[in-house]
Amino acid sequence: MARGSEPPDGGWGWMVVLSAFFQSALVFGVLRSFSVFFVEFVAVFGEPAARVSWIASIGIAVQQFGSPVGSVLSTKFGPRPVVMAGGVLAALGMLLASFATSLTHLYLSIGLLSGSGWALTFTPTLACLSRYFSRLRSLAMGLALTGVGLSSFAFAPLFQWLLSHYAWRGTLLLVSAISLHLVACGALLRPLSLTEDPAAGGPGAQLASLLHHGPFLRYTVALTLINTGYFIPYVHLVAHLRDLDWDPLPAAFLLSVIAVSDLVGRVVSGWLGDVVPGPVARLLVLWTTLTGVSLALFPVAQAPTALVALAVAYGFTSGALTPVAFSMLPELVGTGRIYCGLGLVQMVESIGGLLGAPLSGYLRDVTGNYTASFVVAGAFLLAGSGVLITLPHFFCVSAPTPKPQDLVTEALDPQGLGED
Amino acid sequence: MRAPPGPRGPTAPPQPLLLLCLLAAGRPGSADDGPPASPFTSLSAREEILARYSNLSLESHNLSLTEYSNVAVEKNIILQRPSNVELTCQFTTSGNLNSVNATWRKDDELIENGYLINATGKILYTQYMFTIIDSKQMGNYSCFFHEEKEQRGTFNFKVPELHGKNKPVITYVGDSTVLICKCQECAPLNWTWYHMNGSVQVPLDVQMSDKYVISGPNANETRLKIMHLSEEDQGAYWCHAIFQLGESEDHIDLAVLTYLVPLKPFLAIAAEVVLLVAIILLCEMYTQKKKNRPDDGKEFEQIEQLKSDDSNGIENNVPRYRKNESVGQ
Repeated sequence: MARGSEPPDGGWGWMVVLSAFFQSALVFGVLRSFSVFFVEFVAVFGEPAARVSWIASIGIAVQQFGSPVGSVLSTKFGPRPVVMAGGVLAALGMLLASFATSLTHLYLSIGLLSGSGWALTFTPTLACLSRYFSRLRSLAMGLALTGVGLSSFAFAPLFQWLLSHYAWRGTLLLVSAISLHLVACGALLRPLSLTEDPAAGGPGAQLASLLHHGPFLRYTVALTLINTGYFIPYVHLVAHLRDLDWDPLPAAFLLSVIAVSDLVGRVVSGWLGDVVPGPVARLLVLWTTLTGVSLALFPVAQAPTALVALAVAYGFTSGALTPVAFSMLPELVGTGRIYCGLGLVQMVESIGGLLGAPLSGYLRDVTGNYTASFVVAGAFLLAGSGVLITLPHFFCVSAPTPKPQDLVTEALDPQGLGED
Repeated sequence: MRAPPGPRGPTAPPQPLLLLCLLAAGRPGSADDGPPASPFTSLSAREEILARYSNLSLESHNLSLTEYSNVAVEKNIILQRPSNVELTCQFTTSGNLNSVNATWRKDDELIENGYLINATGKILYTQYMFTIIDSKQMGNYSCFFHEEKEQRGTFNFKVPELHGKNKPVITYVGDSTVLICKCQECAPLNWTWYHMNGSVQVPLDVQMSDKYVISGPNANETRLKIMHLSEEDQGAYWCHAIFQLGESEDHIDLAVLTYLVPLKPFLAIAAEVVLLVAIILLCEMYTQKKKNRPDDGKEFEQIEQLKSDDSNGIENNVPRYRKNESVGQ
């Protein structure tokens, strides 16, 4: 057990990977499968579809904007109590939702309460994971994030089956019970003390030092740009295929193909990130550029085989960039400040995510097809990789990676601590 | 195949006269007559036909048979209003048309007259015209061609079918629900709902407007809204549509659950989670005690307690990058 001050790179770390896997499944898998409830809510509450889809939107927004809160609390108390409390909140939200009599009730219980619960779980877990690994960090991230994809496969049919036996009230009650497993996942996050922790200081000091940290700010900008373009195919691909006269069934099949190649991309990229020497930022630039290119090529492809090939490429590259994006952060800011760093990044990049889909929709309304949307999405991704190139030590080709320790001490010098 | 509805106008008169002539003439050209039954041209029937003719639409349907047809040739026709009907069967054979007998049956009952037979080239036509006024005339009408084998074509007349729901509707005590019955392109005269309690049909007391509300925004569907559900409201609900030409019904199953039903699995899963958490924390405390570490066993991360004068102190100064090789400091 790591009571010492090194990332163990294994041992209990693999249990943390398991915990992160289930957590990303329980948070994002549930969110993604919420569309199953959609039809029921529209019928039961008699509200238009746009108002019902606000439930998931509020949940996602609260989860992302609340990430810094989770980070700050984890810095102060450690990830375990924060994640366990988050699990209880998320489950409580679902429980209260099962008694709902109006849509507002659902906005507050699922959107606000469960959303806050999710905010307290996801970011601290990933941050904790990056503290447990250094050499195998990307692989651990990649494996943990596969939980998102696999759970969407499993939860949608499960929820549908539950709906047919228990209707929506009973199903929400049981989803609440399933979400309680977040508490168990939180229990797995054993506290880890690392050397840099005292140097990093309390949460307020960390936030301040992060906001003055040039590379961190550039990284955040890059991730925001990437996030703006990243989600567009998920939202608009089916509509684009319909415009090209595809039937619904092959279109849905194409989405499954993307999901599978996304999974494979995550694991391969995770492995690659650890094996390839040099800063992980270069791999992120590689995957981001490839994703941007494949997005921009989407409007050009007309033949089904070309579209399928592009879809596989997009799925693989977009999945590949996620673990690398997360595992790059500790290199930049050091594992001492990882909680606060990750929280801030999540909050800011969510702006990109919120803007991306409506922007793309607007472009489609103005131009009449999705060509502009896909090209703009690709452009955002390429811009993001452009910003990443400006990060320090990017072009180092020698084997020793840049010393994030220097970056940490640079930022911490004002605090007068000379530890190294 | 329907003739366009609407007033017939100047083409009206010839047809009923033709009909009457045919009826009066009986069945031309068949060899195996029985004793000629009087054509159903009693005065009242004629008048009836004339009277009803002008505001009824005409349904025309065809079937083709050959001597080789070995699959049942059928046509389903959905009717909801009284109509004049014209059924035509044509039979193609390579043999001698004169040796073919054509007959009509309604539901296995031989039709005596009212149809005509015509032969053109290699094709034998037989046509039966009649009027469907109420449910007694609905059923299956078949034309038969007797050569060596008997070939049969059937026209099935039915009222529109209703569609409820094939899966049960699940609700909870205290909720309200809407049961919908609909049919395609139909306009029944009346809709009614029944509740099947066991095997007893109980008509619904629609006067209780705080419990049952029947509405139907369109003519082709009916909605039953039941409020303040209780467990007695469980069971099958039958919706009944009455047409001029018959009736049609379908059922929807309603299940009313109490909160106890999902609560049991919920408690089971919650207990399992508590167990998991207990196991994880106990294992951790056990391994801590085993290694005899001076850990406080608390769950909060005590950053300030890091003891840098630990015996592993020297390696602690390794920078936190990817541990690729040994370091410079």
